[in-house]
Amino acid sequence: MTAVSLTSAAVELVGGVLLAPLLPGLVQHWKARLQGRRGPSPVQPYRELRRLWGKSTVAPQGSSVVYRWAPAVSASSMAVAVLLVPVASRAPDLGIGRDVITLIGLLALARFAVTAASWDGGNGFSLMGASRDLTIAVPVEATLVLAVAVAALVSGTTNLVGIVAGTAGTAVWSNPALALGAVAFALVLVAETGRQPIDNPDTHLELTMIHEGPLLEYAGRDLAFLQWTAAARHWIVLVLAAQVFLPHTHSAWAQLAILPVALVALCAALAVTETLTAKMRILLAPRLVAIGGIAALLGIASWLVQIS
Amino acid sequence: MTAALLFAALALIGLGIVATAASSTVRAGLLAQAGGAALLGIAGFYALAAGTTAGSGFTSAFAPHFGVDGLTAFFLGTVGLVAAPTLLFASRYLDATARGRTVAALTGAFVLTLVEVLCARDPLTFLAGWELMTLLPAATILVAHSDRSARRNVFLYVAVTHLAGAGTWVAVLLAAHAGALDGGATIGRGSGLQIAIALAALVGMGTKAGVMPLHSWLPRAHPIAPAPVSALMSGVMIKIAVYGLVRVLVDWLGVLPVWTGVLVLALGALSAVGGVVYALFQHDLKRLLAFHSIENVGIIVLGLGACLVLRARGADTWAALALAAALLHTLNHAVFKSLLFLGAGSFERAVGALELDRLGGLLRRMPWTGGAFFVGALAIAGVPPLNGFASEWLTLQALVHVPAYGGLGDGVAGAVALAALAATAALAVFCFVKVVGLVLLGPPRRDAVAHAVEAPLAMRSAMFFLGGACLVLGLAPGLLVGSLAGLAPWHAVVPTAFGLHPPGTGSLRTVGLAVALGVLVPVLVALRSRSAAAPAPAWACGQLVQPQLRWTSAGFTKPLRLVLEAVLRPQRQIAVRVQGGVVQEVAYSGRIPQLLDERVYLPALRSALTAAAHARRLQTGRLGTYVGYLIALVLVLLAAAKTGLIG
Repeated sequence: MTAVSLTSAAVELVGGVLLAPLLPGLVQHWKARLQGRRGPSPVQPYRELRRLWGKSTVAPQGSSVVYRWAPAVSASSMAVAVLLVPVASRAPDLGIGRDVITLIGLLALARFAVTAASWDGGNGFSLMGASRDLTIAVPVEATLVLAVAVAALVSGTTNLVGIVAGTAGTAVWSNPALALGAVAFALVLVAETGRQPIDNPDTHLELTMIHEGPLLEYAGRDLAFLQWTAAARHWIVLVLAAQVFLPHTHSAWAQLAILPVALVALCAALAVTETLTAKMRILLAPRLVAIGGIAALLGIASWLVQIS
Repeated sequence: MTAALLFAALALIGLGIVATAASSTVRAGLLAQAGGAALLGIAGFYALAAGTTAGSGFTSAFAPHFGVDGLTAFFLGTVGLVAAPTLLFASRYLDATARGRTVAALTGAFVLTLVEVLCARDPLTFLAGWELMTLLPAATILVAHSDRSARRNVFLYVAVTHLAGAGTWVAVLLAAHAGALDGGATIGRGSGLQIAIALAALVGMGTKAGVMPLHSWLPRAHPIAPAPVSALMSGVMIKIAVYGLVRVLVDWLGVLPVWTGVLVLALGALSAVGGVVYALFQHDLKRLLAFHSIENVGIIVLGLGACLVLRARGADTWAALALAAALLHTLNHAVFKSLLFLGAGSFERAVGALELDRLGGLLRRMPWTGGAFFVGALAIAGVPPLNGFASEWLTLQALVHVPAYGGLGDGVAGAVALAALAATAALAVFCFVKVVGLVLLGPPRRDAVAHAVEAPLAMRSAMFFLGGACLVLGLAPGLLVGSLAGLAPWHAVVPTAFGLHPPGTGSLRTVGLAVALGVLVPVLVALRSRSAAAPAPAWACGQLVQPQLRWTSAGFTKPLRLVLEAVLRPQRQIAVRVQGGVVQEVAYSGRIPQLLDERVYLPALRSALTAAAHARRLQTGRLGTYVGYLIALVLVLLAAAKTGLIG
């Protein structure tokens, strides 16, 4: 194993597991600044995790093992997903492959666990969030598959390490297929991170929650797992956006060096869109995401035209 | 070896059928049938792994011939793998009354018929078995239920499958006539004959498989059968139609033009998405499962379509992998769907009606059955590390490779199919979260459910076996994929491993994933369990959660219903009864119509009936009229002969 692949593996583990909560922290921090508030410090998510870690969990009456295990299953599948996503084109296979379709399966497993748990807890608001989450997941999953299919076709593999290498350079600016794929992925990114205009992470009104809804009954370490899951989800989609759909260099060392810059820029972009847009009507969100799907389809069509 | 095992299996099943005649031996008879089915499964998978063939090859001659080749062996294995636990389940599920004994005997005969269709090597034996395969479940349903609605549904089932089943006859007889069965003559690529056979097979066998838009019979017939028969119908019978499709489209017809592959992709995408969308809005568990069969057949057909397109484009390795994906999903669906139907049967036996909104909490009351059902739900929802995910993964890979090797048109078709499969997977998660939530979790929603008792050991162990199969097939799909890709009549080599490692793309490392999840989840659970858990009522803004406040199936799927309103055209009626200016009662009813049935088939049926009523006027019953018809006919014939039209 070379130095660069060892470093990549280390960055994945440290970055994905430990630094992930910094990403939503940064977005919240800058969003508050943009809105003229002082806002929380970027390390606020860590403080919350520490606070939750010391608290007792809550078991709603009549809940079963599904409710108790869901946060662990959700966090585990997201942790495995973090290890699937390479931070550089020389990242080693960690024994679980690097396949992008597997990643989509793991996201589905996390969603299954949390939404099934909201039936177990029996909280009506949780179920409302769960049913909305599952509804929006339909166009999101289709768009995500199409967006990564664009990248997979351009680079000739669904292996993410191969995709990072195959999309290196500034092809994303010049190749219409990748540009359209990037548009699709941007919408997926907003949906998966639960940000405006699709979801509002700051809401405290149960009636409007989507991703937060199924978390309502949870407390203590359970909630800590779920909050970390949400942060890791930020890490996964932002790293994918940076290393596949944004221009990146061919050299793996340079990719590692630029990654923090790209992640910070993407967080800033999220803060700006959060400030500029309002949450849209929930029934319109699938349409917005579907537009991304159509963009990705056009991307595949333009790739087909290019190669023929 | 294969032949000996097969004969022993069939003899044991036959013996079991005979034994069901007496009420004292009915249980032993079913167990003998189960043993026979297990031998059948062993014979099938042994022949597949060893690559042996037995008996005669295909012939166009009209004399009974039987034989086993790789494809037959795989499907025999599938039948055995599903039928053995199902019959074991039936040994406790069916009672020793005359009705139960008849169902037991018919179930065994049904398994024998499936074997007959698979082993048939000449057109006549094949078609005879094909028809019997339709009629035996119909007879079983009629023995189990004799009420009017059941009779009506069975009539519809038999009528639809026979009408459209004509396509099967046309396809098989045309192929036999052209000499394509024994591989002697090849049908020209893109010739009218090839297209005719392909389309006829798609109609005839597609109907039997429940492919949309030819699926109307399936959600009517499958739910009303006794649980073991439902499991065999959904698990195996519709898979025999997949066998027929593979046999005709891949084996007999050679390379088809690209557009037929695109047509198959379109049918698959429609079935997959349509099946799961309608499944989401069902309120009865068995009917919901029946719609999921349509969905999964759609996924299988997507794999088959990818195979045809890739074959036509000359991508032989990926065409073989797409075929392997379709066959792997066939096996996987057979396993988890029979598990779910058997689970539904256990619940029905314990609590009565399976209306989704009136179950709940069964995981607590029936932990073993509920646990096995949960595994089946995870498998059908396609989440790792279970088997449904493995075959969906391979199908997605095959579909990604359709644009990679395709032209513009079929490439875009492949991409649309890819999106359809991804949406299907997300919808399946949605649907089975709903099923798990309403059936297994939360509080019991009626008294019978609160007092449900666990199923007997034989029924539980059948479900455990199938649940274990879901896990094993999820961990080691690669062991099968090598031999399945080898079933393609063209040359393709796929490496055999535990996981899926198709050449030149990402790989699914099933074992690594399962180990990672299997280590992390217990560790995290242990970490959380160290802190105290405070019991508390669920938060409902300070109210007590009354039974009326509980979520229902319709409520949970409402956002999706609203999003898809333009396509689904849901109907609802609100009747408000006002007396003296005060609202006394508000009655609400809503339903999702089966658009295809109501907009296409029913009008067509009505106009056909009207036309028949008009035609009946020709039949006056008076001798004079018929003599008149005869004279007219003779005159017309004479005139035609005179003018040289005939003769």
